[in-house]
Amino acid sequence: MFAYIIRRVIATIPVVAIVALFIFSLLYFAPGDPAAIIAGDQATPADVERIRASLGLDRPFVVRFFEWSWQVVQGNLGVSIFTNLPVSKMIAQRIEPSLSLMLLTLTFAISVAVPLGVLAAWKHGTWIDRLVMMFAVFFFSVPVFVVGYLLAYTFALQLDWFPVQGYTPFSISDPWPWLRNLVLPAAALGGAFVALIARITRATMLEVLSQDYIRTARAKGVSQRPILFMHALKNAAVPIVTIIGIGFAGLIGGAVVTESVFAIPGVGRLVVDAILRRDYPIIQGVVLMLSFTYVLVNLCVDLLYTLFDPRIRY
Amino acid sequence: MSSTILDPAIAAELPDVLPARKQRGKVAMFAYRHPSIFAGGLLVSLVVASAVFAPLLGTVDPTALAPAKRLRVPSEIYWFGTDMLGRDIYSRVLYGTRVSLQVGVMVALFASVIGMFIGLTSGFIRVLDTVVMRVMDGLMSIPGILLAIALMALTRGSVGNVIIAITITEIPRVARLVRGVVLSLREQPYVEAAVAAGTRVPKIIWKHILPNTLAPITVQATFICASAMITEATLSFIGAGTPPTIPSWGNIMAEGRALWQVKPFIVLFPAMFLSITVLSINLLGDGLRDALDPRMAKKI
Repeated sequence: MFAYIIRRVIATIPVVAIVALFIFSLLYFAPGDPAAIIAGDQATPADVERIRASLGLDRPFVVRFFEWSWQVVQGNLGVSIFTNLPVSKMIAQRIEPSLSLMLLTLTFAISVAVPLGVLAAWKHGTWIDRLVMMFAVFFFSVPVFVVGYLLAYTFALQLDWFPVQGYTPFSISDPWPWLRNLVLPAAALGGAFVALIARITRATMLEVLSQDYIRTARAKGVSQRPILFMHALKNAAVPIVTIIGIGFAGLIGGAVVTESVFAIPGVGRLVVDAILRRDYPIIQGVVLMLSFTYVLVNLCVDLLYTLFDPRIRY
Repeated sequence: MSSTILDPAIAAELPDVLPARKQRGKVAMFAYRHPSIFAGGLLVSLVVASAVFAPLLGTVDPTALAPAKRLRVPSEIYWFGTDMLGRDIYSRVLYGTRVSLQVGVMVALFASVIGMFIGLTSGFIRVLDTVVMRVMDGLMSIPGILLAIALMALTRGSVGNVIIAITITEIPRVARLVRGVVLSLREQPYVEAAVAAGTRVPKIIWKHILPNTLAPITVQATFICASAMITEATLSFIGAGTPPTIPSWGNIMAEGRALWQVKPFIVLFPAMFLSITVLSINLLGDGLRDALDPRMAKKI
């Protein structure tokens, strides 16, 4: 068990290194010369050259990559071109709305999708099954911002049940405004995720339900519900958890867009605004942070395997 | 190379090929046995047709400005209304079909060919395998949209750059798939027999490996086409995609964004077209998967 965890963590290192290399290359090859920007309009070529040397921008790619990595490890993601603030500080200011949105969506998606998938597998071949699958194909095909607009138009503009846009910070004494603001974004963002998880849950459940031990359980008179949720779902857990981990990438990407639709001041809005201003350090910092989050989530998923399936020992 | 891959656009024509035999029973039979391919193919054919024949379908110049006629609601003259610059949304949406289809088909094609090459290399040249697959893992660890955003931030917005950016995010999926197929095929007795008989590697790849990767790649290419269209629309929507001068579905929606609460139809029509197109391509992909690869169909 312990050896497995150590091995998995070590296996993550090359992936993290390659991600870092990709994202470093992004800023390295980005158009525009930071030295010239800092020097300003009045600077002579000699001034620019001096600033470039003082910033270390004249050194080779590899040297700069390792220096940059060392800064990242210390939590320094550079300085925004536009606001001159440290990128890590700007991300930290925007992290709460994004984190709230993603956690709420994750909770909502899993608690809806897994029962739906189990239901579809249980009622395999009936209209309930077909309805769930049609729903899944639908949400796979409609982009998250379209779902967002449809929900906002129906439930916020027409019915006035929820606020159209905006965000209220979380507070323990009164979490209701926070939740009210996030219901529609989470539902929009969760649609595709629900579809993904429900599909895998159904497929895996169907496979498990055809196993001999399920037949044995039926034969000795175990009733439907314990069979579905105790015997079958537990054995179907590994593929479901895997797809939740993989689907997290879509969740992160979708969050960036959802935040734009619902005017949530999160990390996604930060990066979208940065694109319009070509603020490369911010784009780089956000992409790096979100990619590391994704790697970390999948590492956790791998470690969860041992919990669900004690046979797994690599 | 590209002719060996079933192009989604060609696959879309499948149901249309059948009536040429003048046997109505066969069409009905096909529709009955493969409802997803039939329905998806039919819808995709319609979308392709509306893109090809856009100039003949009652459209006007999609970029023609008419400030006096801006923000008209849908009517008999302006079927889908006009946007804030007075451009006819119906024409823009129909011409936008061309951009979306172009992006979807090109990305599917390039990602399949390049991914197949990488997958074959990685599956056959074991020395490279670890390095290549770690690089693929790294690429896959950057959420697709973010990688595309980052790549687009580097370059000018153009349809070509959008295609390149999305292709790069989709390549690892194909490479992994092909590598998996290669590794399992290499264990097959008939491949081992061919190796024992002294068949050269290029011939083994051509005769035994490639034909077996075509079915899963075709299915994957359909899904890549669908997801590339969504990615393109998303990129344009947040302002990192095709340049605003080109009428693409994402751009029309981006322009309607500021006004969606008062003029929801600007966003609604391109959104509808995008969703229906992607839905029909996904249907086609599901159908092809069931028909071509029963093993895969059972798994997903």
